Amino acid sequence: MIALSHISKAFGRNQVLQDISLNVNRGEVVVILGPSGSGKTTLLRCVNYLEKPGSGQIAVGDFQVDCSRARRGDVLQLRRKTAMVFQQYNLFRHKTALENVMEALLVVKKLPAAEARKRSIALLEKVGLGAKLDEYPSRLSGGQQQRVGIARALALEPEVILFDEPTSALDPELVGEVLEVIRAIAREGITMIVVTHEMGFARDVANRVVFMDGGVIVEEGTPDEVFQHPKEERTKQFLRRITPEANYSI
Amino acid sequence: MGAPFDIGYVFSFLPKLLDTLGVTLLIVAGSLLTGIVAGFLVALPRMYKIPVLRTLSGVYLSFFRGTPILIQLFLFYYGLPEILKLVGLDLTRAPVMFFVILTYGLHTGAYAAEMIRASVEAVDRGQVEAAYAAGMTPYQAFSRIILPQALGIAVPVFSNLVIALLKDTSLAFTLGVMEMTGKAQTLGTLTQHFIETYIALAFIYLIISFTLEKMLLAAERRLTRHENREDKRESIFRLKKRGSYRTVLADINIGKGGGA
Ligand SMILES: Nc1ncnc2c1ncn2[C@@H]1O[C@H](COP(=O)(O)OP(=O)(O)OP(=O)(O)O)[C@@H](O)[C@H]1O
Ligand SMILES: [Mg+2]
Repeated sequence: MIALSHISKAFGRNQVLQDISLNVNRGEVVVILGPSGSGKTTLLRCVNYLEKPGSGQIAVGDFQVDCSRARRGDVLQLRRKTAMVFQQYNLFRHKTALENVMEALLVVKKLPAAEARKRSIALLEKVGLGAKLDEYPSRLSGGQQQRVGIARALALEPEVILFDEPTSALDPELVGEVLEVIRAIAREGITMIVVTHEMGFARDVANRVVFMDGGVIVEEGTPDEVFQHPKEERTKQFLRRITPEANYSI
Repeated sequence: MGAPFDIGYVFSFLPKLLDTLGVTLLIVAGSLLTGIVAGFLVALPRMYKIPVLRTLSGVYLSFFRGTPILIQLFLFYYGLPEILKLVGLDLTRAPVMFFVILTYGLHTGAYAAEMIRASVEAVDRGQVEAAYAAGMTPYQAFSRIILPQALGIAVPVFSNLVIALLKDTSLAFTLGVMEMTGKAQTLGTLTQHFIETYIALAFIYLIISFTLEKMLLAAERRLTRHENREDKRESIFRLKKRGSYRTVLADINIGKGGGA
């Protein structure tokens, strides 16, 4: 279980997150929605300390850290319990698909090469890339690269996978294959926090939807509560603006 | 100037000049080693924005890039022993080669520092974040993710740097080092066949530059093979297209042109 308590973050004078608290249960899929600039990416990046929160506490599994006095070792621990899938994939470009997945198993988990290899191959097969093991990212499509990114995240066996708009850099015809993979792993009960603009996808994978605006959580609830019966005016406005897209989603 | 032209001299000078090739290559190799170490020491404070050291690096860069190599040679050869005498160190007996390699090394270091900084910064920041997000330490991220890619990016600049250094070594004779250019001067004076010695000399420099360039191009191709979108087997025998990394560097343009 993940618990974020009273997370605040400012870039200079710009207060981007204000006292955010959010709990995610084991096996739960939480989708974060919100207009551009509302702080979704920043919140996700605070969870694994790619952004240093100004204050608050983060608990992941049995590990807890107080952001005002996090040490280098705490940050490493935290990162070893989480994994992230990036909007721009961020694959290691000098490594093949297989090497991308193996990298952290070898370097961080210190598994023997044969074991790392076996596990990585199984994961790449699972995301449908069993035939692309030895390709470099430059020779894979965006959708394939993102699926490698997902396999790389799964390899770490994290407590939670953080997805930051995993399909928004993709050509429309490639979005489906990536969402399909994310859906499949959601069904396996992997804990996920997903920032996305794919409303249809949000509606059918999310156990809970969180709507953010201006650095605060405005409203949260089941997909049905948030999409069909939003209570807050800001949520309603946001949904009205993006509704045409909601129908189009897969 | 001198005796009438006789192509025969060109051929007879070639082996004589090649006798001193070792000295030239020793200067190049020694200076490159010194230069790469100096380059790292100067680049690090700039990349990590360490106060004071960063300013000192700036002064170092300005001096070695902003003054002619010939003056640097004279300053180090004649000036350094005088300065060190003040602190009780006697360098007057140190071999000339020491000063030559030190000067060329520090000079090369200024260009190496910029090469290192630009190459490291050209590796996409997102990959470093991915490495951190996976729990790698900064050292692991540097050695496993940044460095291998930065090397590939650095090679074209490194290639310019080595060739510029090779040509610059031809000034070492001004301090009396018998490297190839010095030897050519001597042969010319002895025989009065100046044109022939310089033709032979240019020919040797050209061959070495050409060989170095080809070797480094092969190294670059190997280090950046992951960016090659064509089939690997076919492309080995093809000239590389001026691809991604080279265009990155075209913007940075830190290679140095020409001699001193
Ligand atoms: N590194 C940074 N330095 C300064 N300001 C930043 C930085 N990153 C984000 N911000 C600011 O923080 C605010 C929130 O940004 P964030 O990227 O978290 O929004 P978002 O909800 O993910 O938006 P989008 O839907 O466009 O991705 C914005 O005002 C942005 O300008
Ligand atoms: Mg964002």
